[in-house]
Amino acid sequence: MAVIELHDIVKTFGATRALDHLDLTVEQGEVHGFLGPNGSGKSTTIRVLLGLLRADSGSATILGGDPWRDAASLHRRLAYVPGDVSLWPNLTGGEVIDVLARMRGGLDEARRREMIERFELDPTKKARTYSKGNRQKVALVAALASRADLYLLDEPTSGLDPLMEAEFQEAVHEVRAEGATILLSSHILAEAEALSDRISIIRAGRVVQTGTLAELRHLTRTTVIAETERPPTPITAVPGVHEPVMHGNRVTFDVDSDHLDAAVAALAELGVRSLAAHPPTLEELFLHQYGEEVSA
Amino acid sequence: MSSAPVASSVAGVGHLLRLALRRDRVRLPLWVVGLGGTIVATAASIPPLYDTPEKVAGYARIVGSTPVSYLMSGRQVGLDTLGGIVANETSQVAQLGICLMVVFLVVRHTRAEEESGRAELLRSTVLGRHAATLAGLAYGLMAVLLISAITTVSMLAVGLDAVGSLTYGVGLALLGAVYTAITLVAVQLSTSARGALGLGVAAVAVGYLVRGLGAMEDNVLVWFSPFGWAQRMDAFGDERWWPALLLLATTALLLALAARLMAHRDFGGGLLQPRPGSARAGRALGTPFGVATRLQRGLLIGWAVGLFLLGMLYGSVIPSVPDLIASNPEMADFVGAGGQAAEDAIVDAFLAYMFLFMAVITCGFVVASVLRLRAEEEAGRTEVVLATPVSRTSWMAATTALALIAAVTLTVIMGLGLAVGYGLGSGEWDQVLRHVAGQLAYVPGTLVIGAFAAALFGLVPRATGVAWAAVALVALQVVLGEILRLPDAVQAISPFWHLAAVPLDDVELVPVLAELALTAALVAVGIWGYRRRDAVSG
Ligand SMILES: Nc1ncnc2c1ncn2[C@@H]1O[C@H](COP(=O)(O)OP(=O)(O)O)[C@@H](O)[C@H]1O
Ligand SMILES: [Mg+2]
Repeated sequence: MAVIELHDIVKTFGATRALDHLDLTVEQGEVHGFLGPNGSGKSTTIRVLLGLLRADSGSATILGGDPWRDAASLHRRLAYVPGDVSLWPNLTGGEVIDVLARMRGGLDEARRREMIERFELDPTKKARTYSKGNRQKVALVAALASRADLYLLDEPTSGLDPLMEAEFQEAVHEVRAEGATILLSSHILAEAEALSDRISIIRAGRVVQTGTLAELRHLTRTTVIAETERPPTPITAVPGVHEPVMHGNRVTFDVDSDHLDAAVAALAELGVRSLAAHPPTLEELFLHQYGEEVSA
Repeated sequence: MSSAPVASSVAGVGHLLRLALRRDRVRLPLWVVGLGGTIVATAASIPPLYDTPEKVAGYARIVGSTPVSYLMSGRQVGLDTLGGIVANETSQVAQLGICLMVVFLVVRHTRAEEESGRAELLRSTVLGRHAATLAGLAYGLMAVLLISAITTVSMLAVGLDAVGSLTYGVGLALLGAVYTAITLVAVQLSTSARGALGLGVAAVAVGYLVRGLGAMEDNVLVWFSPFGWAQRMDAFGDERWWPALLLLATTALLLALAARLMAHRDFGGGLLQPRPGSARAGRALGTPFGVATRLQRGLLIGWAVGLFLLGMLYGSVIPSVPDLIASNPEMADFVGAGGQAAEDAIVDAFLAYMFLFMAVITCGFVVASVLRLRAEEEAGRTEVVLATPVSRTSWMAATTALALIAAVTLTVIMGLGLAVGYGLGSGEWDQVLRHVAGQLAYVPGTLVIGAFAAALFGLVPRATGVAWAAVALVALQVVLGEILRLPDAVQAISPFWHLAAVPLDDVELVPVLAELALTAALVAVGIWGYRRRDAVSG
């Protein structure tokens, strides 16, 4: 049974249409990447799921209940990390963690200790002195230290350094192994790829693609920069290769991820001197797939 | 110091000032129209009221030399002239208004910006270290000059003496300048805007009360308050300019202090540095009510201490009211004829006004307390609370209940303060219950105002500022309702207007019960609205 089911959701703020007939399904036990550029409606979707916002139309189910009507009882079973974490300036990080956990109905002491240690958080500091990253850690510890069936994480790593991001990924894997469902929003493709079982891509308030990573492979292109011994002209004939640019024996091209194998084989035939490849950014993805500029 | 560092430390003042004006393009005009308009209306209302020499002569005897008048407006000279009367009637609103205005405006554009992190962005541009302080100063002075100019012009317009009008305006402007400088010091001391506001408002209260007490006892205390200095320029009497020097010198000294503090502190830091706190939350922090209490702890303690002291001050002057009356021959004749009963009646009238005045002050508390709901929502902190099983009803009910319970508690504390002050002044301790009960008789009005703020929060969250307008209106009705001859329909908007003037009159149960019912209804409507709307600011 699906843990989250949104169907045909519309939400407007005055003249702004934040969600435009949005559909989203998240299955039990999966990490679902919710991917979209800034302002595409990720936070609005999550707030509708929390019953903080009331959808203008459409149907919404979360953990088998109505997010607006049954908000309080549903919230016993979920944990939330907001995108822009704001904490009570005169409470310490440790106090905030306890307050939220108690309001949620209890906390796992061992997990609390472990998470604080893991994220290297000083719980005795007043929240007003925390950096954005540290405020985010407080919210993460508060969410992860309580055992929930569903975690709604809104761009949870946007203030974390790479080391902490790795800790975060580890924690997500553990929580998932225990059977929880996670909705993880992000505007960075690589992050969603690293964690998610399935991904939904949202754009201008509408989900434009949903699927497993394998299913979405055809969407993603890898940019390859290579230098070969012989002139790299034959590469242009490989299916799935786009926009090759050649300077002597140097070639730069994009290749559909499901044709990467053939392209690399073709390069090997020509004698590879140097090779660099990088996955596409979300912006490149949109540019290629929809031929539109993504406004940040 | 060479001129280059000075220039670079103030670079960008112009930009900041323009930014402040842009951000306050509604707020500043509101202050100017609200405060300036009240001053103009007061000035204009006097000449028609005192249109014969007899009436003018009667003012000094009947109104201007009462204990309440001394306490609230100080000892204004020239009360036997129209100018003196206008100055006396205007001074409470004008002086308190101009000082509170600069405290709010200056904190808003200095410490509040720094605390929010927006100033950090600005500081990273070409902006000198002292630019924010200077821009705050320039902005505060500008607002002060506007109000003072309006005051002088309105006095001239009703035909008052030119030198007196000008002196009065200058005194008002310099008083505003002193408090601008005090606020600039306060924002260096406290790391939070709320703390700086508290310090600024406390400084206004202390200055005002010290002048009031000094004027009442007619002693040297007057000279320990900037309010006293401004008044002792003796506008509409034998004007003298040297007290202006006191005001100017104090402003300069305070500004130098602010600059020095600014130069020696970190960005975002203050003199009052935070200590490490507890790693675990106490037991009380498990419920919405517990959290609301903790969030408002500082506010509650500050108000409790402030109101107790205020009550004590007012209480301590009650015993001297009969003496003051005795020193006024006409009043003494009147009292002499009426005997003890007439004297008691005058003391009771004084008490009734004190109770009312202090009840209006608690309206400021109750609105600030209820509107924490909105502040929390705008800061994005309500979101995390509502993402737990805590429902909107319980979150809003907890905060509102706290505000209303605290308002009642503060009222009791204020009444106790009054009783203690009275006991210390008179040596009689048998009035405690009477004073506390008397003060409590006015609490329904405060509760209605708090519930009104709650209703606004639930129904029209963007318009919660209207609750402050209601507080201003109530204050206006109490201070100036009679003099402005506001129509009953307007005065009736104030919940206090309907309540009996205890202890002069006995408590009337009907208005009390009606206002308690109205309070419950307004809170219920607020919660009803809150349950139906988006719980996110925007
Ligand atoms: N409370 C609000 N009031 C008005 N507009 C809003 C509000 N919240 C979001 N929006 C608008 O809705 C759109 C989607 O915003 P959001 O969901 O925050 O995007 P994302 O989280 O993907 O960056 C944006 O255009 C944003 O400006
Ligand atoms: Mg967002």
